[in-house]
Amino acid sequence: MEVAERLGLGTVPGRGLPPAFEDLFRKEYARVVAIAHRVVADADEAEDVAQDVFVSFYRKHPAEAHYAAPWLYAAAAHTALNVLRSRERRGKRDAVEAVRRDTQMPDPAQAAETAETRSEVRAALGRLPDRSAALLALRYSGLTYEEIAAALGLRQSSIGTLLRRAEDAFRKEVTK
Amino acid sequence: MSDIEEMLSVSEPKTDTERALARLRARVDAERIAPVSRGLSAPRRVAVNIWVRGLAAAATVALVATLLTVSGLAETILTIFEPKQLVAVPITSTDLNSAASFGAYGTLTWTEQPKPYDVPDIRTAARESGMTVLTPSNLPQGVGAPRYGVMPKTTATFTFSAAKTTQAAAAQKRTPPPMPANIDGSKLFITGGPAVVAFYTDATATTGATGATGASGASPFSGMPKLIVAQGKPPVVQSDGVTVDQLQSYLLAQPGISPQLAAQIRAIKDPSSTLPVPIPVDMATSKKVTVQGVEGIFVGDSTGLGSAVIWQKDGIVYGVAGTLTEQQVLAVANSLH
Repeated sequence: MEVAERLGLGTVPGRGLPPAFEDLFRKEYARVVAIAHRVVADADEAEDVAQDVFVSFYRKHPAEAHYAAPWLYAAAAHTALNVLRSRERRGKRDAVEAVRRDTQMPDPAQAAETAETRSEVRAALGRLPDRSAALLALRYSGLTYEEIAAALGLRQSSIGTLLRRAEDAFRKEVTK
Repeated sequence: MSDIEEMLSVSEPKTDTERALARLRARVDAERIAPVSRGLSAPRRVAVNIWVRGLAAAATVALVATLLTVSGLAETILTIFEPKQLVAVPITSTDLNSAASFGAYGTLTWTEQPKPYDVPDIRTAARESGMTVLTPSNLPQGVGAPRYGVMPKTTATFTFSAAKTTQAAAAQKRTPPPMPANIDGSKLFITGGPAVVAFYTDATATTGATGATGASGASPFSGMPKLIVAQGKPPVVQSDGVTVDQLQSYLLAQPGISPQLAAQIRAIKDPSSTLPVPIPVDMATSKKVTVQGVEGIFVGDSTGLGSAVIWQKDGIVYGVAGTLTEQQVLAVANSLH
């Protein structure tokens, strides 16, 4: 055992990941990617987001933390929203191109049209307040009200109302 | 499929978890990323815990201290305590640990329990609290979006009981002074709130949810919000006959109250309109500051983790606290409008 480990200073960098962290990664990776993918609509970008989220968790939190899963879900949604917004800032062409990579359709014209629609929808999602956008991302990635409440630090009883408001705001934003 | 589900639909992502894990291992290795260090992070966690526990204990002492200041004109039947100003009362951890909880002197019955809850936005917070909710125009960098919680008006009745006091003292092998006959069975009617609390997340963290504590009370996160802005109606205490002098003489003579704390409380010049703000001296320092044109109390956490300012204006007590510097906290407080 390394001296640093003996002193309780944690695992030495470069010596592999702690088993508990690897277990957590295996258990939650697909879900973290799915949440990020729902937001950015680009599988490669979603995997990049998931990598950043797990690195961030690894730096700051013990793998055994009881809040690990909700933390990862919330972080996936928020990090993906940040990526989405910075993509929108770079311009519409970049945004459409990112989504197009992910739009696998045999007909190129149809793929282009779908990519454009998906990109516009994402732009609308990015314009919503953070909490509303995160609520939609988590809910439409299949999380239960209980899981959303834990991830966003909200009361489970208020999720339904907040979600409906977020959906209304989203519809308005899309049709703007 | 709902319209939103359709709008947000994406192709099914194909993930290769083992390949992704290998990528993460390589990155952690290449960038020499260290995991959370238990040894190094412990003091911060302990400090935060002490701070939070200190505040909880301080709240109990605040109630005792507030009740000690129940004032009024002698011989009146209803005595009203309605604070117009604040005063810092330094308390030590010995005071916190040795002072008997208020429950040792009688029974507290809630008529309206303190039940804080989340509200979706500031307008709902204003409507449900009946107050104009102030917001800061100046937010330091790194402070994210706010989330609002409302604490409705809370009322409670406290009934002094000599029998209960004797019992509690016996359990702790203490000999308290006998409770005067006119205090035994007398009642205090306490009203607090409503209050509104805005929790601002840490925008520099990867998640906006890291610090959600407090009003929601259900957060699984161990951290604190970056900034808290609170406002509420101060507590009002009415008595069915006992005067402040009688209560002070009795309660300040209790074995748990240090002579220093007793002297601090006795020194309050106008107890009927002064709200004592307990400052845990082992953990924090305090000083008078001017905020929003009135005198307030600045509290600095001596571990360097955070600071707070509290003041009262136009019948409302305001507080701004956060893991920020004194300058930042005061700038936020002065920008409330």
